[in-house]
Amino acid sequence: MPSQQPLASKEASLFRNVLKFYETKQYKKGLKAAEQILKKNPKHGETLAMKGLLINCQGKTEEAFQIAKEALKQDMKSHVCWHVYGLLYRSQKNFDEAIKAYKMALRFEPDSQQILRDLALLQIQMRDYNGYIESRRLMVMSKPQIRQNWTGLAIAYHLAGNLSEAENVLTKYEETLKQPPPRTDLENSEAILYKNYIVAETGDYQKALDHLESISRTAVDKVAILEARAEYNLKLGNNEAAEKAYRVLLERNPEKRLYYTGLEKSLGVEGEERLKIYEELAEQYPRADAPKRIPLDFQEGDAFKSVAQKYLDWRLKRAAPSTFTSLKALYGDVTKRECLESLVEEFLAKTREEKPVENGEKLTNGSSTPNNNVLIYTLYYLSQHHDHWRIRNTEKALSYINEALELAPDNADQGELKLGLARILKHAGDVRKAMEEMDNARQKDKSDRYYNTKCSKYMLRNDCNEEAIKTMGLFTRNDVNGPLGDLLEMQCVWYITEDGESYVRQGKLGLALKRFHAVYKIFEDWTDDQFDFHSFSLRKGMIRAYIEMVRWEDSLWSHPFFRRAAVNAIKLYLLLNDKPHLAHGSLANGTGDGAVDFESLSTTERKKAMKKAKREAQKQEKAAAEAAAKAKDERKGGEEKKQDDDPLGAKLAQTTEPLEKALVWLKPLLEFSPTFLEGQTAGFDVYMKRRKYLLALKCLLAAHSIAPEDPVVHEQIVRFQNFLNTKPELSPTVQSIIDETFTLAPKEGTLAEFNEAYLSSHADSARASFSVVKVRQVLGASEGSESEALIFDALKKEGATLKDAVDGLALVKELKGDVGRYTEEARQRWLMANVFEVKA
Amino acid sequence: MDIVMLHPSHIPHVQTCNITNLPENYFAKYYLYHALTWPQLSYVAIDLSKPPKSPHDPPKIVGYVLAKMEEEPVDGIPHGHITSLSVMRTHRRLGLAEKLMRQSQKAMVETFGAKYVSLHVRVSNKAALRLYKDTLQFEVEKVESKYYADGEDAFSMKQNLDFIWDAVKKEEALYKKDEKKSDAEGGEGGDEDEGDPVGDEGQEDKKPKEVMRKVKIGRALGVSDLVEKVEQPKAAS
Repeated sequence: MPSQQPLASKEASLFRNVLKFYETKQYKKGLKAAEQILKKNPKHGETLAMKGLLINCQGKTEEAFQIAKEALKQDMKSHVCWHVYGLLYRSQKNFDEAIKAYKMALRFEPDSQQILRDLALLQIQMRDYNGYIESRRLMVMSKPQIRQNWTGLAIAYHLAGNLSEAENVLTKYEETLKQPPPRTDLENSEAILYKNYIVAETGDYQKALDHLESISRTAVDKVAILEARAEYNLKLGNNEAAEKAYRVLLERNPEKRLYYTGLEKSLGVEGEERLKIYEELAEQYPRADAPKRIPLDFQEGDAFKSVAQKYLDWRLKRAAPSTFTSLKALYGDVTKRECLESLVEEFLAKTREEKPVENGEKLTNGSSTPNNNVLIYTLYYLSQHHDHWRIRNTEKALSYINEALELAPDNADQGELKLGLARILKHAGDVRKAMEEMDNARQKDKSDRYYNTKCSKYMLRNDCNEEAIKTMGLFTRNDVNGPLGDLLEMQCVWYITEDGESYVRQGKLGLALKRFHAVYKIFEDWTDDQFDFHSFSLRKGMIRAYIEMVRWEDSLWSHPFFRRAAVNAIKLYLLLNDKPHLAHGSLANGTGDGAVDFESLSTTERKKAMKKAKREAQKQEKAAAEAAAKAKDERKGGEEKKQDDDPLGAKLAQTTEPLEKALVWLKPLLEFSPTFLEGQTAGFDVYMKRRKYLLALKCLLAAHSIAPEDPVVHEQIVRFQNFLNTKPELSPTVQSIIDETFTLAPKEGTLAEFNEAYLSSHADSARASFSVVKVRQVLGASEGSESEALIFDALKKEGATLKDAVDGLALVKELKGDVGRYTEEARQRWLMANVFEVKA
Repeated sequence: MDIVMLHPSHIPHVQTCNITNLPENYFAKYYLYHALTWPQLSYVAIDLSKPPKSPHDPPKIVGYVLAKMEEEPVDGIPHGHITSLSVMRTHRRLGLAEKLMRQSQKAMVETFGAKYVSLHVRVSNKAALRLYKDTLQFEVEKVESKYYADGEDAFSMKQNLDFIWDAVKKEEALYKKDEKKSDAEGGEGGDEDEGDPVGDEGQEDKKPKEVMRKVKIGRALGVSDLVEKVEQPKAAS
């Protein structure tokens, strides 16, 4: 192929060295060798390309692209130049461009396995299944003797949904084997199981079962075989075989619920027989929890009482702190939870009577005899019971936990109980005292990271961010990037999110955004993590696990960790869109206390305030930078700290396009969590502001189908109709689509009437009341005093939660209502909540 | 709780469980590396106290065992290694650690022919030491000085897996008897092949393959792909 003139032999050997240096990551040496070649042949394309690649490895991306482009100019037909170009794009995660470049490279060097492989990896990463199939097909054709290549092609077909072709490919390879591989061949063991997995996915369970039995003695993954055998037989109605398989599985692991459901189905048991099965199994596996616990789910009435009593007896006698957790799932059923309460009370009374008497004296605060521990953890159960959100009797909960604490002189138990105490206080809204008690728990055993973690969490709930990170720092690696750096690196999502939410409460929107963006970055990293496994797993041969990984990655962004950060971030960007001055710390009076009331200022005053805020922000940033520099000096060399040019997130908050930024979060939220209500309602808000009315409507319709009676949905329906009532100029297509699909607003009557009707049909809900008030605001439909009364009323509703009361407070402030009186009334009900305290 | 094999979708919550309880932490990719190399060996305990908000939501994890096979055993004997094991404080005293460990150990024997399992524990971690020594019957083999990043020593512990081999052999024998019975009852003659679990020879066979795996492909073509290797964990435990 007419490429450039080949290099002279000396330079050619230098070039080979360049490649070697690159592969061994000796970039400086590589660059030196490349420069040597270029001295004599300044226009040698492939050397230039390699130079670009090496420079990119040193982090100079822009320069690298320039050189690589120059290389291509010199040698358009060199596969090396194109391959390098693709690698540069790949390093930038611009996979589309990288794929194009690789394809060009392949055009000039169609036989290059290396380029083909690089291309294939990107194709599967991008889920370009057709492209992947094609690349994998070429790889099989060039090296059909390698099993990996066949497996790779089967994976390509499988992921693309072509199950029969995937199976064919695996069979074809198997047919080339002259003799079956030994049982010790793990790759074979997994490959045949993989084939079975594909056959099962076609839904032909008979075929899958026959195949399974033909491989059951070759494959070494016993659990997989047994589980498949049980499942297929059950699906095929071979109940006897299924039962047998499930019993074998239970023998291995009597704590897996799926096996019990399978066994029940294979036996077709109902009523009393059903209970009998569990009684037998409980006897057979005396240490297992599941066979004793499961009947509590399906038994009712007196039958429930009898199984619950047995279970409670067994658990409470073991004096473990987790008994309540094991039963909490039943609390949705009022009869069951009342029954549990009276049973535990009975148990408590009995235990008190049985209390050992030593030397004629009652043991009130003495040794931790087994019986004492039983008493302690029975009291602990009752404290948790009364603290449950469906019951929430803080007074009772506290009295039980305090009694338990008096009985527990031992440090370990004290810690456990303090933890329980702190949780009750947190639920009652006394976050400050909760934090103190959690710190007491931590002090009981400083080597226990669990206490340390919970203590940090409670500090964040109390907005003590400095103390929280210091506490976390007792267990993090505190090298160059400090505790927070370690938490970010170790992807400690919970902490980052809680820290961000705390900053939201404090009106520090920049820092809050910074934390949420760190969560986003973690999800990007988790997405990238799969890349290496596309090749790694083929070499390891664990294909079923790999497929599970790929499928998980496909739904990764639906994870609740992401949803929580996303909803937070979108709300912040919406806020910043409406009130950009909030980006400036000192003007961001998130809770409305202390700071200047920016909105009531005149234009000149606003300008002045903005200027002042900017000056203050600059000062803070400078201080942060200086502190960082100082910390660096103190470390004396060592690893370089990662540069952060926006430590307080000020740049994030001062974005000029908050709605576009919100979209970055919204899109994955809507795509991967379409049934997530808060995502859809957030989407409505963003799209309305962006004047994308059809997209807003789409979100509204989705939200309505998820929760038709939800207060926010009600509010949005009215807002949308109210918007339409203003007769906006919409294109005829948009208008006609809206006319056809938006039927949620009332056909007759006014929106105000619609709103009041909603109020009367949701009279018991505080959130509904708030929503009605907000809608009245939107419609300008009523007197402020009436609305205020409605908010005050909501405080007294039976189901109202502390969070509702806090939301109500914000609403009263918004309406410029009587905050003092509201706080006082709220305090009547939430005695301990810090938010309603009178500030001295 | 429910005890099930580790699935990739569990990883974020396993990671949370780990960093809540233990000082040795890893990024998600290291968990993936375990789940995709020895998927049979790692188990999790799932919290059933709250029904998930939506059916696709991943469950909360209250305990896990993250385990592997030693890739290049110094003593040449195939054996497993516990990378990390922990149970949330709220779920202690339920025997979860032991239940998790037993699942892992059985698979180590059945699938990978492990003869013993090893682990490291901080010399100061009395609770863990008690668990491994008394409950799980591990033995201290030696002290590894300054094993941890903060300079603390580790006990290197191990447990012989003969007791699981015996159990597996018994099960195999039962299974075979069963097979013969059903064959006699008129099933098609099952091919009587070697019924033993993977043994020593198996591991011997595997060795050259492991070595071959390391050969880089495409060297001659110049631009070699170097992203192949899975990154080393930050902290080995």
